[in-house]
Amino acid sequence: MGFLGPNGAGKTTTMRAVFGLTDLDAGTVRWNGALVGPAERRRFGYMPEERGLYPGMLVGEQLVYLGRLHGMSATDAAAAARAWMERLGLADTERAKVESLSHGNQQRVQLAAALVHNPELLILDEPLTGLDPAGIDAIAGVLAGQARSGCCVLFSSHQLDLVEDLCDSVTIIDHGRLVVTGKVDDLATSGPRRLVVRVDGDRDAAWARQLTGVSVSEVDRGAVRLVLDEPADSESVLKAAMAAGRVTEFVVERRRLSEVFREAVA
Amino acid sequence: MKQLIRVIIIVVVAAGVLALRLWRRGRRGRPARPAGTARGAALGRLTGYTGLVAAREIRQRIRGRMFRIGTLVILAVVAAVIVIPALNSGKAQTYRVGVVGALSAPLRAAVVAASRSIGTTVRLVPEAGLAAARADLRSGRVSLVILDARAVEVSKPVSATDTSTSGQLVRAVSTTLGVDEAVESARLSAAQAARLASARPLPVTSLQRGSASTSGRNTTTVGLVLVFVMLTQYNAWTLIGVMEEKSSRVVEVLLAAVRPVELLGGKVLGIGLVAFAQAGLVVAFALVLAKAVGSDLLHGTAPVALASTLAWLVLGYAFYCWVYAAAGSMAERQDQVQSLALPLSLPLIFGYVISLTVASSGNPSTFFDVLAYLPLTAPFAMPALVSLGAVTWWEFAASAAISVVCTVGVARLATGIYRRAILRTGRRVRIRELVSGLAR
Repeated sequence: MGFLGPNGAGKTTTMRAVFGLTDLDAGTVRWNGALVGPAERRRFGYMPEERGLYPGMLVGEQLVYLGRLHGMSATDAAAAARAWMERLGLADTERAKVESLSHGNQQRVQLAAALVHNPELLILDEPLTGLDPAGIDAIAGVLAGQARSGCCVLFSSHQLDLVEDLCDSVTIIDHGRLVVTGKVDDLATSGPRRLVVRVDGDRDAAWARQLTGVSVSEVDRGAVRLVLDEPADSESVLKAAMAAGRVTEFVVERRRLSEVFREAVA
Repeated sequence: MKQLIRVIIIVVVAAGVLALRLWRRGRRGRPARPAGTARGAALGRLTGYTGLVAAREIRQRIRGRMFRIGTLVILAVVAAVIVIPALNSGKAQTYRVGVVGALSAPLRAAVVAASRSIGTTVRLVPEAGLAAARADLRSGRVSLVILDARAVEVSKPVSATDTSTSGQLVRAVSTTLGVDEAVESARLSAAQAARLASARPLPVTSLQRGSASTSGRNTTTVGLVLVFVMLTQYNAWTLIGVMEEKSSRVVEVLLAAVRPVELLGGKVLGIGLVAFAQAGLVVAFALVLAKAVGSDLLHGTAPVALASTLAWLVLGYAFYCWVYAAAGSMAERQDQVQSLALPLSLPLIFGYVISLTVASSGNPSTFFDVLAYLPLTAPFAMPALVSLGAVTWWEFAASAAISVVCTVGVARLATGIYRRAILRTGRRVRIRELVSGLAR
């Protein structure tokens, strides 16, 4: 699940509240219908926005320690730590201090720390920021794998295209209030229809500006993205486009997550 | 005395067994899951996770290079304190006294007796003449010179209030020679002179019980230094350890899994156990070494003083660790820590200095008696009073009880402050905000 919202909307505060790191002014935190207490939190995994590990502690020991704080036995924690280091490409850093690792590897250790006890619910605050494309792919792959194996993964991000690709559902909050929540597919097919039209020789898509019941959402090198109001129909748009010149592209498109987001927090 | 040693052994063994069980429970892992009754399971989990945190703390501390070097330095200092006076007591207490001209046999005996009365010995060295004697004085070969049994010469002036052994020796020798001159000029009979020469000081009785011997005082001083150094060091560990967890943000990951009281309790427990292991090692080393070199450090009331010093090291750490942990949770940078550490260390320094003064003067004031009951200063004041023999066992127990009760209160307050302050980042948390937060 993607957890979205503009800066200052309250994403981090919400995530911290799940782990009891912020006092609630009102309301409750529930998991599967029951109030969340210390015992439930031990079955959750958390990767905070400001990364935090003991800088001078060895990677392997650190993961085992965090596994045990979540209630694992020493042998289980050791096995799980080794398995995650293997999977995240950290196998040769087991005896290294965290502070000696690169930023990307520290991020991986932080992810392993959230995963080592095989949590039911994994909450990650901006897990993909500051990573190179390979790092993003690696971490995104792990998150998708966890979700497939039945773990509920919730993470916040401003990289909406990635969220769209990765997530089944999204929740958008603004000013501390929930504004949109739903499946990514449902959100994409709901709302007004979208057309992408390209007319040869008209880079600014001047022809589209005069249409009624149609608004231009963006123009990208001659390809104009149109949002159609309920009464407007695509045939009239096609006619207008053909009148303006040779039509080289005419596609009915789904609503993008970035559009959902912008409309939700406008 | 034997009984006391037995009690100490029992306490140490009990503490060891407790620590071992805690450690093994931590190793055995998976502290009982929510099954079982609510309270029992909660208690089990508390010790379980606290034990885990403590075990990590112990592992990290013992592994640190600073800890190993620090322990070696302390052992070296203790060895020096014990061995150097023992070596000195063996040789340096014989003074060489130069004799110019004649010195009668009875007068020689009188000079030797005078030196013995101030706890030292002399060797009389005949000098060829005044010039040779003065040369020996200048070079330090002799400490003083007796001229024809009628004058004493030294190299540096000796004041009337000089309490050093050499100063006392000069005064004793000059008094002895003066009495001899007076006896001679009074023209007493031989029998009268002999009776004067055999005069003994009258016994002196005191209204109050006798204070500690000098060896007891030395032990007290060593004990006070030990308590001060160790309390300062372990408190700094707690302060900086808490601050580092905050500044590295690891505390957010930890508190997502364990409760603040478990994290804080485990931390101070772990550091405490390392502290007492180190203190125990130092004391055991000191005892063995003192026995081996025949030091007088452990004679008289010293074992009692040592036991009470160790007891107050435990009580003092238990009290102060919470204060320092709460302070550490308010800071996230070195400079912020330093601005907090100074005011916190003032009561420690105050208690230490005033106790050292009282231990060496041997005269506790009423004010000092009061300090021995305040948990902030009692870790120094109470052992000092014990070694002076100025407290009864129930006064000791009352002070310990006050300290334990205050420790419980301080621990609660500190946990409240810690919970509020540890997750606030960006700037140093002000005490006023925390107090208003606690009141809410």
